[in-house]
Amino acid sequence: MAIINYAQKVINFKVVYYGPGVAGKTANLQHIHKSLPDPSKGNMISLAAGDDRTLFFDFLPVSATTVRGFTAKFQLYTVPGQVYYNMTRKLVLRGVDGLVFVADSQWDRLRENVESFRNLEENLREYNYNLDEMPYVIQYNKRDLANVAPLEYMEFMLNRRARQVPYFEAVAVSGDGVFDTLNTVSRMVLVGEFGQEKGEHRETA
Amino acid sequence: MVIHEGDAERINAVLTTFLGESGATEALLIDRGGQLLAMTGANRALDTVSISALAAGAFSSTGALAQLLGETEFTVLFHQGNKESMHVSTVDDQAILLAIFGERTTVGMVRLFAKEAATAVGLILAEARAKPKVTGVLATPLTKDESHTNFGESKKA
Repeated sequence: MAIINYAQKVINFKVVYYGPGVAGKTANLQHIHKSLPDPSKGNMISLAAGDDRTLFFDFLPVSATTVRGFTAKFQLYTVPGQVYYNMTRKLVLRGVDGLVFVADSQWDRLRENVESFRNLEENLREYNYNLDEMPYVIQYNKRDLANVAPLEYMEFMLNRRARQVPYFEAVAVSGDGVFDTLNTVSRMVLVGEFGQEKGEHRETA
Repeated sequence: MVIHEGDAERINAVLTTFLGESGATEALLIDRGGQLLAMTGANRALDTVSISALAAGAFSSTGALAQLLGETEFTVLFHQGNKESMHVSTVDDQAILLAIFGERTTVGMVRLFAKEAATAVGLILAEARAKPKVTGVLATPLTKDESHTNFGESKKA
């Protein structure tokens, strides 16, 4: 839920990186944290288990733009991808303004991607959020690996709703596609909240 | 939701009274999604953004624990440290109140006055939520340039 604070001249948004386990959600945030200059980022917090898998969430606040005198801040979260962490995954979605679905492009992970996407739809429904109205993008990660499915096939599996959303190929560990993903979802969140002037293309459409 | 200057002033007044009565050092009003709505207290460098995200996470996970026991939620969460402690309590279904306090007061005092403060703040938040969201300079749609963000460099996969 966007929070517009007129006293502080700040608008806060929450963006959640969702997807199956080990798809690269945390790697996205780590690259963003490593790359952004200090004034544009806060501390990154990772609530991870001993094996580096996310236990509850990762959190990174970033800001990059001013809208009519208001600083737009985006609080980036990841969810734990493992199937059995659904309760905590659902908690992180509370108040979400925009989503990045991080898919693992490897052939043998396709089923997990589809299951995670369905799980996202179910969890959103429990908050009465509707994915058809939610700004989101899809990131096909790990495109550098040898055993990846063709992009068209990934699209067929994951981007087949009535509204097709922007997608990005990525190698999150090296940063490829990470900022294209973030810039697009943050723009969609801003347009979703405040609208965009008529006659211009709406990327959420 | 929108917090206008008038709402912020009223919330700060309630939180300042709460600090005076309870002896707590800082009071943070936090949206349950993890975002800081207002803060009053000692002027020291706390990472309030991270505190808000973590406190909301902790509070929501204890809420889930409560539901496993058949409770609606646990309305208070208390973390005791050596010198400083933290008390988190329900304001309404969308916000929580976090108080940080040291050795000059007790959890009982904080709990007592947090309840009063939560009721007062809850009323202000309810009014704020009822107001239109995009007003004033934000009432008209953004231009393409205004909705453009420029995080980092672009690298193609």
